[in-house]
Amino acid sequence: MSDNNPLRDPFDAIADPTRRKLIRILAEPREIPLHELTSQFDMGRTAVSKHLAILKEAGLVLDRKVGRETRFRLNAAPLREVHDWLSFYQKFWTMNMITLGQLLEEEEEQ
Amino acid sequence: MSLTLTLDFQYKTTIEKLWSALTDSSKLAKWVLANDFIPEVGHQFQFRAEPNQYWDGIINCEVLVVDEAQRVLSYTSSVGPEKHTVTWSIQDLGEGQVNLHLEQSGISNEQALNGAKWGVTQWCGELAKLLEQ
Repeated sequence: MSDNNPLRDPFDAIADPTRRKLIRILAEPREIPLHELTSQFDMGRTAVSKHLAILKEAGLVLDRKVGRETRFRLNAAPLREVHDWLSFYQKFWTMNMITLGQLLEEEEEQ
Repeated sequence: MSLTLTLDFQYKTTIEKLWSALTDSSKLAKWVLANDFIPEVGHQFQFRAEPNQYWDGIINCEVLVVDEAQRVLSYTSSVGPEKHTVTWSIQDLGEGQVNLHLEQSGISNEQALNGAKWGVTQWCGELAKLLEQ
């Protein structure tokens, strides 16, 4: 879970292919201005801005005004929650397998 | 697109005891969850976890393979639209060591899955790379 309590669930935020593409582009370790992001999509500036706003609400994107342009960068921290969902089964079975080990040891002692 | 989880654990026990832990309902309940499992192909059963506000706690399952000679057990495992196949196999490593191998493969029905979860599974490979940064 994220500490800064985002307005939007990161699961919803990454459900859309345009937003996933935006995150991939923003994964570069630099700030990217809006026009540079917009140029990579077959949609207008307003549509891209709306997707960026959703990512921002989920805490996945940070923005900063520099002069007349807004620059964006990725904040990957909330993605850990998504990653946790994927590793849920791994944790579940690892815990269970440890319990099984204890169970087998107990049987041995009886 | 589907994901497969594999895990291996080694136990100091016998193949027979490990097989029993996998196929005896009361033993399964001690290390997995309460259940009505019977080792019969086609048997439908449930694992029951504590319900919470998002989930009734029920995992619906159906036995696919019970091969006692090869020590392979397989069943489906479904929660909502997510249907996985869980396959267990046991291998004798000698010197009192036995390996338990788990394979959980996800058979994801693209249309049945809601957008969010589908997005997550499609995306996991790239996600792992991002998290390494």
